[in-house]
Amino acid sequence: MSTSTVKDTGGIITVTDACKACDHCTAICPTGAISGFLGQKHHIDYSKCINCGQCLINCPFHAITDLSMVEQVKEALKDPGKYLVVQEAPAVRVALGEEFGFKPGTNVKGKMHAALRKLGFKQVYDTEFTADLTIMEEGTELIHRVFNALGVQGFETSGPLPQFTSCCPAWIKYAEDNYPAILPYISSAKSPQQMFGPVAKTYAAQKLNVNPADMVVVSVMPCTAKKYECDRPEFVASGYKDVDYVITTRELAQMIKDAGIDFVNLTDEEADKLIGSSTGAATIFGATGGVMEAALRTAYEILSGQSLDKVEFEAVRGLKPVREATVEVPVKDLGTTLPVKVCIVTGTKYVGQVIEDVLAGRSKYHFIEVMNCPGGCINGGGQPIRHEMY
Amino acid sequence: MSIFKEKSVFTRRQFVKGSGMLFAAAVLAGIFAKIGFEAFDTSEEYIEQRAAGLYSLDESMAIRKSHENPEILQIYKDFLSPGEVSPVSETAHHLLHTKYGKDIPGLIEQLNAHQHEAA
Repeated sequence: MSTSTVKDTGGIITVTDACKACDHCTAICPTGAISGFLGQKHHIDYSKCINCGQCLINCPFHAITDLSMVEQVKEALKDPGKYLVVQEAPAVRVALGEEFGFKPGTNVKGKMHAALRKLGFKQVYDTEFTADLTIMEEGTELIHRVFNALGVQGFETSGPLPQFTSCCPAWIKYAEDNYPAILPYISSAKSPQQMFGPVAKTYAAQKLNVNPADMVVVSVMPCTAKKYECDRPEFVASGYKDVDYVITTRELAQMIKDAGIDFVNLTDEEADKLIGSSTGAATIFGATGGVMEAALRTAYEILSGQSLDKVEFEAVRGLKPVREATVEVPVKDLGTTLPVKVCIVTGTKYVGQVIEDVLAGRSKYHFIEVMNCPGGCINGGGQPIRHEMY
Repeated sequence: MSIFKEKSVFTRRQFVKGSGMLFAAAVLAGIFAKIGFEAFDTSEEYIEQRAAGLYSLDESMAIRKSHENPEILQIYKDFLSPGEVSPVSETAHHLLHTKYGKDIPGLIEQLNAHQHEAA
């Protein structure tokens, strides 16, 4: 593992000398960023790489690694002058257990909170809180864009339709690198990780009476691209670096093992209050279609003024790379029913056609969710590697 | 003695032996291919299991809609839009929204100016 920063290398993912040049990664890479002659160690073109780590979790020789911030986190935990705050993404809680012998999908949320407290974090919060916050901001933005498209007065400054989701940092870099014209269609709402940082260093710091300069925000993510995201220069809205360090699900498991914590026998604990409460809508963010379903639950109730009898929108679930659905939403303010057309893409390989349709004016959708990894964040590049596969 | 009488290059016994080996090779190739396909099957299966874990956790939660999270209502009323729950408020816009691509340098300038104002 390298302990250099993104600025030194230009990227998060590195091919090591263990590479056998088997070409499996070049088939998996969604952007064609990996190349190398037959029989020669492959290398990554960082101008194309979107840091998703799919090559890493699928390499049969475990020859690909990601940049590590674990040493910085361990140093900060030892420093009595620092106040460490941690957030964990939804997908971490159903995969972390695999590193300790649990079956995939086992919910170890309570043990994870307990382990983080044992590691020395002062406040154990939850990215699911800011996932709910994302729905409030991104859902409101979507409603404004729909009203603008329908010609409702007062929403003229809202962006165009369809609106794309903005949670996935691999997708954002892909769009910036390849389709600058699509950027006005992407929601301006930050990802849950990047909403958490400024909320912790302003609102929580005030309430806890902690100097934000002493606060260190750490994220536990199923994702390698989140490491790149936290180092982007614009994420300093709090006046400080919003999210200081990101560690993956794998790295948290290693830290728990290194500290000699008996994870399997830990008693379940809750997240801390203030910015640690979550809902089922936030939990499903970790699966493809989850952001869409969470947004529909809230947008439907706000637009219709009615309570949903059934909160599940099964039409948006599944593992097919491109899915679509239409949801009839009664809009109270307009006195009509609006057929809301949504699309879900999982796998950046498949997003090109969807983008071309939008740019050519052929797209019939209102809202499009894009996640880079097949299946969503639960299959992210920072998740436990399934060794039985190779 | 006939110098023109060719020796049969392929006896019946050799043919049986040869086709037997070809058959065995085909069976082995099939078995290896099946192992390969099963590896892909597992790769889908663990994704499905993790997704099922999230969906059953969702079902077990007391609150299942973002706008009903009491701490979300509290952060709007106390901090983001004082006194009311009003997303995309000025503070929310400053802390929770961003820009992309060529608009980033301008956003960083805005954030720096905001810091100077605050100081």
